[in-house]
Amino acid sequence: MANDLGSPSRRGTAGHTVPQTASIKGPPSHSSPLSPLREGLSRSAVEELSRQKGEPDWMLQKRLQAWDAYERIPTPLGRRGDLGTLRAFANFKFQQLSPYVPSNGNGALPAVIEQSLQDALVDARAGLVVQRNASVVRVELDEQLKKAGVILTDLDSAVREYPELVQKYFMTKCVPVESNKYTALHAAFWSGGIFLYIPKGVEIEDPILTQIWIDSPASAIFTHTLIIADDESSVHYVEEYNSSFEGEQPSLLDGVVEVYVKSAAHVEFSNLQDLGQNVWHITNKNAVHEKDGSTTWVMADIGSKVTLANIGAGLTGNGSAAELVGVFFTDRDQRYSINTLSLHDAVSTNAETQVKGVLTDDSRVEFGGMIRIQPKAQQTASFLSAHILLLSSIWADRKCRAEAIPGLEIGANDVRASHGATVSKIDDEQLFYLMVRGIPQDEAERIIVQGFFEPVLQRIPLENLRTRLRRSIVRRMSGAYETEADTWVDAQERWEVEGVDEYAVSLDKPKEAEEILLTEY
Amino acid sequence: MGSELIIKNLHANIEGKPILRGVDLVVRQGEVHALMGPNGSGKSTLANVIMGNPKYEVTDGEIWFKGENILEFSPDRRARMRLFLAFQYPMSIPGVSVANFLRRSLEAVREGNKPLEEGENPTGKTTKRKSIPPGEFRKMLQEKMRLLKVDNSFINRAINDGFSGGEKKRAEILQMALLQPEIAMMDETDSGLDIDALKIVADSVSALRGPDLGILLITHYQRILNYITPDYVHVMYDGRIVKSGGKELALELEEKGYEWLKPVEEENEVGVNG
Repeated sequence: MANDLGSPSRRGTAGHTVPQTASIKGPPSHSSPLSPLREGLSRSAVEELSRQKGEPDWMLQKRLQAWDAYERIPTPLGRRGDLGTLRAFANFKFQQLSPYVPSNGNGALPAVIEQSLQDALVDARAGLVVQRNASVVRVELDEQLKKAGVILTDLDSAVREYPELVQKYFMTKCVPVESNKYTALHAAFWSGGIFLYIPKGVEIEDPILTQIWIDSPASAIFTHTLIIADDESSVHYVEEYNSSFEGEQPSLLDGVVEVYVKSAAHVEFSNLQDLGQNVWHITNKNAVHEKDGSTTWVMADIGSKVTLANIGAGLTGNGSAAELVGVFFTDRDQRYSINTLSLHDAVSTNAETQVKGVLTDDSRVEFGGMIRIQPKAQQTASFLSAHILLLSSIWADRKCRAEAIPGLEIGANDVRASHGATVSKIDDEQLFYLMVRGIPQDEAERIIVQGFFEPVLQRIPLENLRTRLRRSIVRRMSGAYETEADTWVDAQERWEVEGVDEYAVSLDKPKEAEEILLTEY
Repeated sequence: MGSELIIKNLHANIEGKPILRGVDLVVRQGEVHALMGPNGSGKSTLANVIMGNPKYEVTDGEIWFKGENILEFSPDRRARMRLFLAFQYPMSIPGVSVANFLRRSLEAVREGNKPLEEGENPTGKTTKRKSIPPGEFRKMLQEKMRLLKVDNSFINRAINDGFSGGEKKRAEILQMALLQPEIAMMDETDSGLDIDALKIVADSVSALRGPDLGILLITHYQRILNYITPDYVHVMYDGRIVKSGGKELALELEEKGYEWLKPVEEENEVGVNG
């Protein structure tokens, strides 16, 4: 019965296919060994995946409909004359990847993951979920919170144990299956996944940490995060994406995050994407807010080969608010396409989006920041700023390119909205100034970059995430951990301890953005 | 023997246009030289070229410092040899505090004159830089700040960001005091200051003056020389030093202006090809 779970002996033997006779009659637990699918992406692979998981028919049907939508929706190719990130993705042969690479949840995690948990962004935590490839391999939740009714589990289990919640919330209103081609593909093949429900009035103080870990080449991984924060609840949720496999055979991470923020609830969602440069990454994240609900998003992208990110804030409840802080750093031939949407669809909503990014080497970034204010969204305030710095100078000519396109669609008339976006090269004279003070050119670049990021890093609520980001950026720029990179960061920290630095960062006043006031209509 | 900065027949262009047309100058530790001349005569260019600003192309001549031809050295290496430039228009660098920057700068300068491969930092890639403990650094900095009567809040702020004109100039002198150069160039440090600010700046420079510091004081007003008495005065005109003398030359310039120093052969040279 339940232990007839296919052919575990095939695991890890590349090139073999899973026998179609493998069948599952009982519900598997996430700790059971499952069979990888090696046939590439196909309708029959969807069926096989669902069968292996022993899913109810409604989920199988949802997956199959999603597959059909995936086949039907044309591949997005971007605009003419853009920097080509979407076209690059369209040329990526992810159809050949293994759509399901389960990991055994029993026993020890690989040392690299254990180490990462040690170094994780948060010391004290209320809960932990680790997804390795297609499977959730560890779930921990504070006992008190369990008693209070908080649910933290993998989404596979939630399908069986909380079907009414999953049916209602999974890829329906927040990130609908057919949002785009890649969300449809995700819906067909999602696996593992994180399900978090916070009951009414429960405020979780310590962060919940989740790690998505890919250590399998040539795989397609579809992680899903579903958070439901009930009335007047709150949570700090941290999600990290990492990978640890070598070689040229790329993998795909196609993830979706859905956050439902009920009345007067607050969700703080922090995300650090530090995938290896052999991972192609798509993420679609959205939050749906009810009355007076609010979110704070922190998105930090420094890894992956290519990233397509759609980050949304659906302000559908009166008085709801969303704040987004975005930071990215790209080097080598990385390509990002990042799009944010502040969708105002209720009275008296607020959104503030602040993005800062730095590019070096041959990398390319396209940023699109849209503010959309629907006719009924009166008394709206929405602000967006995006500033991108290219590390190309008289000292080091580099081919990095970026474009930042802010957009504003206003259907209401009692609105305050502004947007501003800049792409600029690092200042030759600033570099010269620092060098004339004895600082070598590469370190001078790092100092300017840190100064550029610092004001936006200060908006990140979690101290550990700030520190981790500073370190990651400096490490990426210097290619070393133990040299002056550390010293610089440590110096900053020590000065902070001595209370010397506290005003230093506040002096970077945001430039006056072009402001559009429509109150006179 | 003290360090010497020797400039020989220096020619430099910006965007193909010649600015320096054969400068000869020697500045030694312990001496104060005033470099005067009208706007556009090449004074700031000379300071920038001595520090290695890549905007300028050196087409001929040599710059020797401490017995080495430094023309091919990067600006940071020149600084680590203890050459200093107080900028006319100091850059602001948002988000980087004066304290952190100065500490890093001091650490770098203490590394001294090491030939570096491109992209290499002074410590090399593998060893940790010799860092100055924050406590020790803070003490040093505060001592200099007391000497120059700089307010404590200075170090908490981002480099030159939101500084007034006078504050920027004083921040430059504070850096000079801390980094202890052997030869310092001060590019129009007196410009844009009211008389009170000028006195503070002049007093600061006088406080730093001594046998270990050579100063090239670039100015086009005689005014600051009422407070800082130079050992030598040079006049620059059309990219050359056309006259040198003692401190009395400055007074003569004050009286007669610069026109009388206009070199005669200049006309001919310009006129050759119409």
